[in-house]
Amino acid sequence: MSADSADDVVAMSLSGVTGVDHRATTPVEEEVIGLFDDLRVPLFRYTLAFRLSSHDCEDVIQEVFLALFQHLQQGRSRRNLRGWIFRVAHNLALKKANSNRRHQQEQDAPWFDEPADHAPNAEEQLVWNERRLRLLSVFDALPDGDRFCLRLRAEGLSYREIAEVLDISIGSVSEYLTRSLARLARADRR
Amino acid sequence: MQAIDRHIQDEELLGLADGELKPARAAEIEDHLAACWVCRSRRAEIEGAIADFVRLSNQSLAPRIPPSDGPRSLLKARLAEAVQAQPALGWFHQLRVGLSGHRLVYASATLAILSLIGLWLQNSRPGQNHLTEETAALEPKPELTPGAIRAVSLADTCGGPSDKNRAVPLSVQREVFGRYGIATARPQDYEVDYLITPELGGADDIRNLWPQPYGVKNWSAFAKDQLEDRLHEMVCAGKLDLPAAQHEIATDWIGAYKKYVQNGEPAMQRSENGTVYDLAKLSLD
Repeated sequence: MSADSADDVVAMSLSGVTGVDHRATTPVEEEVIGLFDDLRVPLFRYTLAFRLSSHDCEDVIQEVFLALFQHLQQGRSRRNLRGWIFRVAHNLALKKANSNRRHQQEQDAPWFDEPADHAPNAEEQLVWNERRLRLLSVFDALPDGDRFCLRLRAEGLSYREIAEVLDISIGSVSEYLTRSLARLARADRR
Repeated sequence: MQAIDRHIQDEELLGLADGELKPARAAEIEDHLAACWVCRSRRAEIEGAIADFVRLSNQSLAPRIPPSDGPRSLLKARLAEAVQAQPALGWFHQLRVGLSGHRLVYASATLAILSLIGLWLQNSRPGQNHLTEETAALEPKPELTPGAIRAVSLADTCGGPSDKNRAVPLSVQREVFGRYGIATARPQDYEVDYLITPELGGADDIRNLWPQPYGVKNWSAFAKDQLEDRLHEMVCAGKLDLPAAQHEIATDWIGAYKKYVQNGEPAMQRSENGTVYDLAKLSLD
């Protein structure tokens, strides 16, 4: 009972609360849900880079897609929606992280986040763990801008898209990425 | 061909790997790499660091990402709500677009007067207003607390020792208060309650927690405790399905109380020693 893995937890469906919804979903709703299916995990990984708890990340992502719905519903620009989504997620995650800092909650956040390791075998696990810990501790110690750049690049965003999300120049994106990858490469060689 | 001794900078090696260089420059660098072992191995190091970072960080983050079913249905419900709220927005937009200049000024003035009248009406009936607020706090907000369950068997639910009164860590209690916009409330005025009690398979999850007020007359935390006991008893006696019990308590606990405990409002108080008395029964004696 004490070790609830996140996999076992199922949120109750809201259908019983708001009354069963008989109308057909609109094309915009479907588009938003489709993008949610594609991007929830990448956005989750990105918002975790703001040192938020899992439920804060989940809240941020919900807000992002509600904002996307309003954006599309009002007939605003559909140019590069993925970039738009990451930019909104960035701003909301930043806001959440700042407000958490004000409430000094960040220290005791991981109540629900007990990462479980899946070991192939003990020896592999040891080597893997060592490298992983070394790499992740370097990643963790990087300045915010470098961490965000790396994470966005890892999610497949182009330099131009990253520059738009973070509101910096393409030259700075390239500079941050080079600097942080050099550090990661050094850590891996040790 | 370029001189081999002018090595390529990391930034350009990365730009090449990321496809971010101009084609002419990319071709020059490829030529250089074909001839230069130093730059080739540097490129391999950078690419290795990228591959390791993506693989290892994605693997370590995976356990922190809960499955998407719950959040997905929550989003769908919130979108449906937004769609239904849309006509009101459309009306407001039409009004703004259709009105301009003087007409807009008159319309704004009319709206302002109407809202003042509304405000006055509200203030002239303070009792009623207070009652609405109080009723609103009796049930959790479905968008914040839809309820969340663990996978449990009937044997888990009915066999083991009761874990009904599991303490919620103070930090989590504070977070629940924050989500409900009552960050400054006194903790002793609320029970941060599992909407679906752990006894019925409720999960340690923020979506299953809400601040239930103690200070209300009838539908207090004590009444809900009574309902939880009743549902647990019925589930274990085979009179009610566990999923049905979870659903009823998550969607409308007051309705469930009326259905399974007693029809009508509870009239209970807690004495000094913590015993709960049913005032209705006491008065019959």
